[in-house]
Amino acid sequence: MPDSDGRSDVMQLWRDWLTASERQWNNFFNDAMGTDAFGRFMGGYLEAYSGIQRLLNQSMERYLNTFNLPTHSDIVELGERLRAVEERLASLESSFGNLAAAAGLPGGAPVTQIRPRRTRRPRTPTGDNA
Amino acid sequence: MATLRTPDVNQMLQAAQAQVQRNLRRAQRGLDILLARQEPPVGATPKDVIYSRGTLRLYRYRPMTDEVYRVPIVCVMSLVSKPWILDLTPGQSLIEYLLRQGFDVFMVDWGVPRPEDKGLRLEDYVLDFMPRCLEEVQKATGEPDYTLFGYCMGGLFGLMYKGLLHDAPVTNLVCAATPVDMEGMGLFQRWADPRFIDLDHLVDTVGNIPPDLMLRAFEMLRPVERWVSYVRLLDNLWDPMFVYGYRIMYKWTNEQIPFPGEAYRQFIRELMWQNKLMKGQMTVAGRRVDLSAVTCPVLHVMAEHDHIAPFAATRPLITLVGSEDKEDVVLKGGHVSLVAGKNAVGRAWPKMAEWLSVRST
Repeated sequence: MPDSDGRSDVMQLWRDWLTASERQWNNFFNDAMGTDAFGRFMGGYLEAYSGIQRLLNQSMERYLNTFNLPTHSDIVELGERLRAVEERLASLESSFGNLAAAAGLPGGAPVTQIRPRRTRRPRTPTGDNA
Repeated sequence: MATLRTPDVNQMLQAAQAQVQRNLRRAQRGLDILLARQEPPVGATPKDVIYSRGTLRLYRYRPMTDEVYRVPIVCVMSLVSKPWILDLTPGQSLIEYLLRQGFDVFMVDWGVPRPEDKGLRLEDYVLDFMPRCLEEVQKATGEPDYTLFGYCMGGLFGLMYKGLLHDAPVTNLVCAATPVDMEGMGLFQRWADPRFIDLDHLVDTVGNIPPDLMLRAFEMLRPVERWVSYVRLLDNLWDPMFVYGYRIMYKWTNEQIPFPGEAYRQFIRELMWQNKLMKGQMTVAGRRVDLSAVTCPVLHVMAEHDHIAPFAATRPLITLVGSEDKEDVVLKGGHVSLVAGKNAVGRAWPKMAEWLSVRST
């Protein structure tokens, strides 16, 4: 960025070079990464990543079981059950809301009480509201 | 004969003093970053949660004008990143801009998927969560219809929603940088090549796709960008505005979230491998996504130099929808330039607001 007083900045040349080099290097790497060989490498990396992840999960699970502690899958299972309960509650709430509405009872009121006037019109080219 | 001028000592002292001050500011801002001090506020526009379910939150932003347009705007987020990109920081927030222009704005934030969310599929998002949130929007506003706004993958959700539920009262659909032709996805498409990637093994093992994998994939699209950004930061450490912007974008880029496993499997298999949305063969929960049935007014804003959702992938969207009132706008810049930065504030946002204002009464 040039100095604020507008003096010619010798660093500007370096900055332009940096921008140009960045583009060139990105293009170079993008070309290299667009090849089948790199695609194969990526596939291998993901394979290894998931393999290591699986091994880690299994060994951690064994240790936690040994110490009688909840494992990751126990907690996930608990989360799933909680979500199922939450879903049921939401569906009950929704059914009650519908029933209340059908019976003409107050209920199912929205949480928000904000009620702006919904009468705004777009501005005309002269700046007035249409 | 040339005469030698005596150097102006005062001028030299002033220049030296300015350099010292600038370097002190550099040091101070550098320390702020290293110690994570004075983090810029993000997602700060006042809002209320009007519906929640699991990690999902439906926000209503507090209107900033007494009178708003009749049709509310519902922003639908992508599954890939934190939603505060649309509400970056005061003065640089699309949400704040829309509120100031007199719109009533809501946001569907999917939240950060938890391990037990690994089974969530596209149909859960499009046919369950979205309709439920939109019902709440209808209750909150008392209006039967709404505008859907989706950035990146959020736009895909908007398209799928209207392409599946043809009678849904969507008054307008605004998409920003929404890829539909996955043949144009460049390196992402190459890396997802079914010859090289064992998708089922990956998803079955990791459940949700970890955020660091997502982050690395995005970074690899521009491998030297991170390092060059550090150099630029050093160069501009004296400039508070530069550092402020840098810190916000650094935070957003690095705060990746996990991608729900089953949705990822569908996304790669149906879209990346078979390009089904483009071919009109995409099905969600056994129902075909018919984009020709999207007949509401559609605006698509794209970036010419988008490296995440390349122009080649986003360009065909407007040709797929059946609307008569449709428009695409191509702006210079990259993926984020549509929702943040000078380009957004000066061009993209005013265009969206103007387009929406005449269609939201």
